Amino acid sequence: MSSHREAPEIAKDPVADSTDVYAFRSPKNPNMVTLIANYIPFQKPDGGPNFFEFGDDVIYEIHIANSGKSKSDISYQFRFFTQVTNPKTFLYNIGPIESIDSKNWIRPQFYSVARVKNGKKTMLAEKLPCPPCNVGPRSTPNYAALSKQAVHKLGKGKVFAGQRADAFHVDLGSVFDLGALRPFNEAHLIPLPNMKGVNGLQGFNVHSIAIEVPIEEVTRDGKMPSDVADAGSVIGVWTTAKRQKSRIFNDNTAKYESKGPWEQVSRLANPLVNEVLIPMADKDEWNHTAPRFDRRFAKNVKRPELAALLPVLYPGVFPNLAKYGKDRADLIAILMTGIPSGVIPGFQNYTGPVEADMVRLNLAIPPTAKPNNLGLVAGDAAGFPNGRRPDDDVVTVELRAIAGALLPLVDKSFTPDAAASAVTDGTKQTNARTKNTFPFLGLPGGGYQTKPGTTKAS
Amino acid sequence: MKAVEIVTDTSRRKLLAAAGAGAAAGAVALAPGASYAAVTKASRGSAQEGVVAYIQDHRSGTLRLMVGEREVVVNDRDLVARILNAAGGK
Repeated sequence: MSSHREAPEIAKDPVADSTDVYAFRSPKNPNMVTLIANYIPFQKPDGGPNFFEFGDDVIYEIHIANSGKSKSDISYQFRFFTQVTNPKTFLYNIGPIESIDSKNWIRPQFYSVARVKNGKKTMLAEKLPCPPCNVGPRSTPNYAALSKQAVHKLGKGKVFAGQRADAFHVDLGSVFDLGALRPFNEAHLIPLPNMKGVNGLQGFNVHSIAIEVPIEEVTRDGKMPSDVADAGSVIGVWTTAKRQKSRIFNDNTAKYESKGPWEQVSRLANPLVNEVLIPMADKDEWNHTAPRFDRRFAKNVKRPELAALLPVLYPGVFPNLAKYGKDRADLIAILMTGIPSGVIPGFQNYTGPVEADMVRLNLAIPPTAKPNNLGLVAGDAAGFPNGRRPDDDVVTVELRAIAGALLPLVDKSFTPDAAASAVTDGTKQTNARTKNTFPFLGLPGGGYQTKPGTTKAS
Repeated sequence: MKAVEIVTDTSRRKLLAAAGAGAAAGAVALAPGASYAAVTKASRGSAQEGVVAYIQDHRSGTLRLMVGEREVVVNDRDLVARILNAAGGK
């Protein structure tokens, strides 16, 4: 997964569990940048009566580093609060919710947005309504309209916070069954017949925080960048969730109370970093660490466990990768520092020598008219790992990168194995299609409309 | 106000006030602090809400008080010892 349930502690706290981060120049408003942070993974659409909602006791934040120091120079901070308008019913709604201010919705949720720059906090908006979850045709009969009502103006930009369809796709069932890729099953150490990939995120929703702001609001000099080679054109983006340090069950109210300072319990930038590169024992600490201190984890990127496993799991398929004994400068560039000038002609998204997991976006590169979901490696410099768009196939890109497909960019002596540029989990996005307008992720699957999947024990 | 405040060389008066906070976090009265608590009055700046007291390392002499969105760190081996005694039922 990109970062769904990726660490032992946060797997027990889905409300604070970040799942994906996207950062891209808005295709229809190229002077704006869109930042999206998703939370609360694996939402089964019919999961009532207590449908999904953001945590009132969590601070959600989208951070931007623009000074070359990989620190949070600007952040957008989101705080939620939930009203219970009728505590005497077990229902989420007592009639059709035909607008987001409907009295029939028993648990409306609202949020504030603040901008923090150099430690100074400015409130941008308060009491913005979220949409309800997509319950079904009786409860949320025109979900598209509800969604539209929940897109709010925010200065010169827009903001949205609420349920959407998960746009990430990966073959969870296969990847976590001893690193198997169904299209290459026959080559696996424990072979099975080759087959198409199965999207493990199919049928699931997430809660998405999306914000679209003028580009000059996030650059270091407050201007719209035009020079790809200029260090000031690049921003680093990540999200965090914080909880208060102490959480205690009040046996008088039968509710939890939080006290103490806010502590980071989840963070996310590049997909699959904590998921696949960071070892189990370090995952919780990674979630609690700011990106600028990632040097301590860099050894796991320089010598990734998965790169060593591939030749073992697929005997004879990755002989050149198996022999490679040097640090993976390609992965450090892609994930931890950005790609410096001179590696890919006409491109860079380098943020300096500080090793930090951030989604790096060169804002001088305009959106692509016809995006290629393999992004930069396919010649589309407006896509991952230059930022990340909702449709970018990050699993394939990262699998191929770990397999060594991009290593010759920084080490001409290495010849990638033939399989390196072919590996894929074989999945595609099978939830509601993403949109080309804000808030970009597709409408969430409805509880009534979505059919549960099937299970097999053997 | 800072999220984390560190209180060192606790004065007796502060110590007694902190002992009151510690007692609030548990059901066991501190001994011999119980007699102090009876005579200690809340100071002007005392917390006006529930407080969670946390001894992260029982060997450290450090008590952490969670109050509002702050953490007050009290370095006081005597106070910590009394709380640990209370936690042990003595």
